[in-house]
Amino acid sequence: MRVKKLAVLAAVAALLGAGCGSPGAPVDPAPVSSVRQPMPANATVETTVEGGGSTENGCDPAASLPPKGDIPDGSTMDEIRDRGHLRVGVDQNTFLFGFRNPTTGQLEGFDIDIARSIAEALLGDPDAIRFRAISSAQRIPVLQNGEVDIVVRTFSITCDRLKEINFSTVYYVAGQRVLVHQNSDVESIDDLGGKRVCATKSSTSLKNIAKVDSKPVPVSVDDWSDCLVLLQQGQVEAVSTDDTILAGMAEQDPTTKIVGDRFTDELYGIGIPKEDEDMVRYVNAVLESVRGGPWRQSYDRWLRDRLGAANPPQPQYR
Amino acid sequence: MTSAVTRRGPDAPGTEPPEEQRGTRSGLAWLLDLPAHAVRGVTRSAATTPGRLSLIAAGLVTLSLLTGLVGALSVQDRGNTIDGLIEHREPLAAAAQQVYRSLSDADATAASAFLSTGAEPRQLRERYQFDIAKAGAALAKAASDAGGVPKAAAQVDILSRQLPVYTGLVETARANNRQGFPVGAAYLREASELMRSTILPAAHELYEIDTERLVDEQDDAAGFPWLTALLVFALLGALIATQVYLRRRTNRVFNVGLVVATVAVGVAIVWSAVGMTVQSVLVSSGSSGGTEQVDVVVRARIAALQARADETLTLVARGGGSEYEKEFSALTAQLAGEDGTGGLLAEAADRAQGGPAAEHIDAAREDTAAWLRAHEQVRRLEGAGDYEQAVRLAIDGGNEQSAAHAFARLDENLAAAIDAGRQNFLDDTTNGARALTLLAPGFAVLAVIAALGTTLGIWERLREYR
Repeated sequence: MRVKKLAVLAAVAALLGAGCGSPGAPVDPAPVSSVRQPMPANATVETTVEGGGSTENGCDPAASLPPKGDIPDGSTMDEIRDRGHLRVGVDQNTFLFGFRNPTTGQLEGFDIDIARSIAEALLGDPDAIRFRAISSAQRIPVLQNGEVDIVVRTFSITCDRLKEINFSTVYYVAGQRVLVHQNSDVESIDDLGGKRVCATKSSTSLKNIAKVDSKPVPVSVDDWSDCLVLLQQGQVEAVSTDDTILAGMAEQDPTTKIVGDRFTDELYGIGIPKEDEDMVRYVNAVLESVRGGPWRQSYDRWLRDRLGAANPPQPQYR
Repeated sequence: MTSAVTRRGPDAPGTEPPEEQRGTRSGLAWLLDLPAHAVRGVTRSAATTPGRLSLIAAGLVTLSLLTGLVGALSVQDRGNTIDGLIEHREPLAAAAQQVYRSLSDADATAASAFLSTGAEPRQLRERYQFDIAKAGAALAKAASDAGGVPKAAAQVDILSRQLPVYTGLVETARANNRQGFPVGAAYLREASELMRSTILPAAHELYEIDTERLVDEQDDAAGFPWLTALLVFALLGALIATQVYLRRRTNRVFNVGLVVATVAVGVAIVWSAVGMTVQSVLVSSGSSGGTEQVDVVVRARIAALQARADETLTLVARGGGSEYEKEFSALTAQLAGEDGTGGLLAEAADRAQGGPAAEHIDAAREDTAAWLRAHEQVRRLEGAGDYEQAVRLAIDGGNEQSAAHAFARLDENLAAAIDAGRQNFLDDTTNGARALTLLAPGFAVLAVIAALGTTLGIWERLREYR
C-alpha cells in the first residue's frame, strides 16, 4: 500500500515537473562524430597511375633467351654454388603462390615450389635457399641492387620491365579478374566505375585497373593480403588482380566470389638481373625439365581444385 | 629628544578626540563621509601617545592574526599538496606509465606469437592478455583525472577509442592464423601499424603530461612560502620596533606581553623554517631520487620494449625489415649508448648510485649486453639463410642464450628498478609530510599567543595613562 502511495506521489511529481517546461537538451557526455577505421600500413588512394599495364605492344614479352644447362667457371651459377645457397625474392602473403604456413612457419606455394626446383637443379638441395620476402614494389629494385639472384613472385613479364631486368620463359599464364562480396551485384570490372578497387603498388593489376574505361578508383597497398583486409573491412568494393591470386583470397574467405572474364593475360616469369644472361639461359633449361613433371605435381597440389586442370605453357625463345 | 619628552607629559591626557556630531547629517551623506571620517579619526588619535598605542596594538593584533591565518593555511595547503602527491598524482603518473608499457609489450608479444609456429604458445597468449588487461585498468585510472587537462583528455580519448579496435584486429589475425590463412598476418601488420602510428604516440604523450604534472606539484610542495615569510618577518620587525618605541617612551626595558609575543613569533619562525626546510629537502629528494630516476628507467624500459618489437618484426618481415633493424639500432643506442656503456641505462646508474635500484640497473646493463650479443647472432643466422634457427634464437624463452631470455631478464630488472625508485619517492615524500606534523595548528596557536601578548602588553601601558 505504502509503495503504491509513493508511486502515485512520484507520478504526480513527475507530471508537475514535466509541466514546468524543459531547461534545455540533455548533454551528450562523450560525443563521437566519426569513427576512423584502421587501415593497412601504406594504403593509399591512387590519383595517377603511370605506365601501360600488361597488354602494351612493342615487344614479344613471352620470348626469352634459349636454354643452356651447363655451368662454366666464373659464371653467375658458379658464384651461387660457391656461396652454397640461392637467394630468392618471394611473397609470403599470397595464399597458394607464396605464403607462410602459420602452422609450420615454412614458406609454401606454387612459386616457392618453382624456386625450390631451381635450387635443387643448381645446388642439389631444394632447401639451399635464402628466401627474402619482398613486396610487389620491391621486385625490380632488389634485382637491380643484386640483393637476390632471382625473383619468383607472381611476376608478370612486360615490355617496360624487360627494359630494366631479364625474365625467364613463361611458367604460368594468369589473367586479371575481379573479387567481390558474395552478395554484390558487380559482374565485371566495368561495373566498378567510381568505386574503390584494390591492388598492390607497382603491380600490372594496378595499372590495368586505372586503364579501365568505367574509371574505378585504384587503391594501392603493399601486399595482396592487405587487399583482402580492405575488402573484409568494407573499405574497398572489389579486389582486381590475377585469377590465381584471387583464388587464394576466395579460399580464405567463403563470403567472396570471383566474377567477370579474364580481361588481361599475365605471363608469369622468373625475374633475373639484366646482366645475368647466363643465369636466364640456365633457369630456362631448368624450366624445360620442370615442365615435364614437377610443374604438374605442384599445380595439382595448389591450384587444380581452384582453377581446374591446366598444362604448362610452351616456352618461346628469341 | 628633550622636546619630545616635555610634550609627552602634560598634554597627553587632555587631547582626547572630540565626539562626532553626526546627528544633524542625513544618513547617506554620513555613509559617504565615513572613510574620510575614519581617516580623520585615525590621524587625530595618532597625534596622542595613548591613541598611537591603541593603533599600534590594533595593527599588531591584526598582523598577528593575519600571519597566523595565512601561515596555517599555507602549511595546511603544503600538507595537502604532499598528500595529493602520494595518494593521487604519483599513482596517476604510474598509471600512465603502465598504459604505455603494457601496450608496447602487447605489440612486441603479438609479433612474437606470430613468429612461433603451430599452436600459439600459452605463455605468450597469457602475457598478451595480461598486458591488455593492465593497459585497460591503468587507462581507466588515468582517465579519471584527465578531465581538467584538455591535452591529457585528448590522449585518453584516442586510447579508449583505439584500444578495442586494436584487440579486435589481433583476434581477427588469430582466427585466420589458426586456419592457416596468410591474411592473418596482414591483420597483425594492420594492428601493429595502428599501435605504432596512433596508440603508442598517444600513450607516450599522456605519460609525458602526467609526469610533468607530478614534477610541477613536487616543485610546488618544495617551493619557498614567500607570503608567509614576508608576513612573519614583518610581524617580528613590528614587535621589535614597538618594544623599542615603548622603551623610549616609558623607560622600561621589558614589556612582558610583548616579549611573550616576540618569543612566540620567533618560535613560529624557527619551527616552520626547520619543518619546511626538512620537508622541502625530502620532497626534492623524493623527486630527484624517486620520480626523476623512475622517469629515466621508464624511458629505458620503453626503448627496450620497442626495440624488442622491432627485433621480432624484422624477422616477421623476413628480409624486408631493414627499417625495423635500423630502428632497433637507434633504440638500443638510446638504451645503452653506441658502445653499450652509455645511454639511458648509464644515466639511470649514475642517479641510482648507492640506492636500492643500483643493483637492478647494473644487472639490467649486463642483460642488455647479453641481449645485443644474442641479437647479433640472430642477424648472422638470418643473413646466412638459416631463418628457422634465427627465429628460434629470437623467441625461445626457454633457451638461456636466446634474445627472448635476455630481454625478459632485462625487463624484470628494469621493472624492479622502477619499483625501487617509486619506493624512494614514497618514503621521502611521506617523511617530508611528517616534518609538517602539527605545524599548521602550532603556527595558528603561536600567532594567537602573539596577538594576546601584544594586547596585554600594550593594555598595561595604556593603563598608566588613565
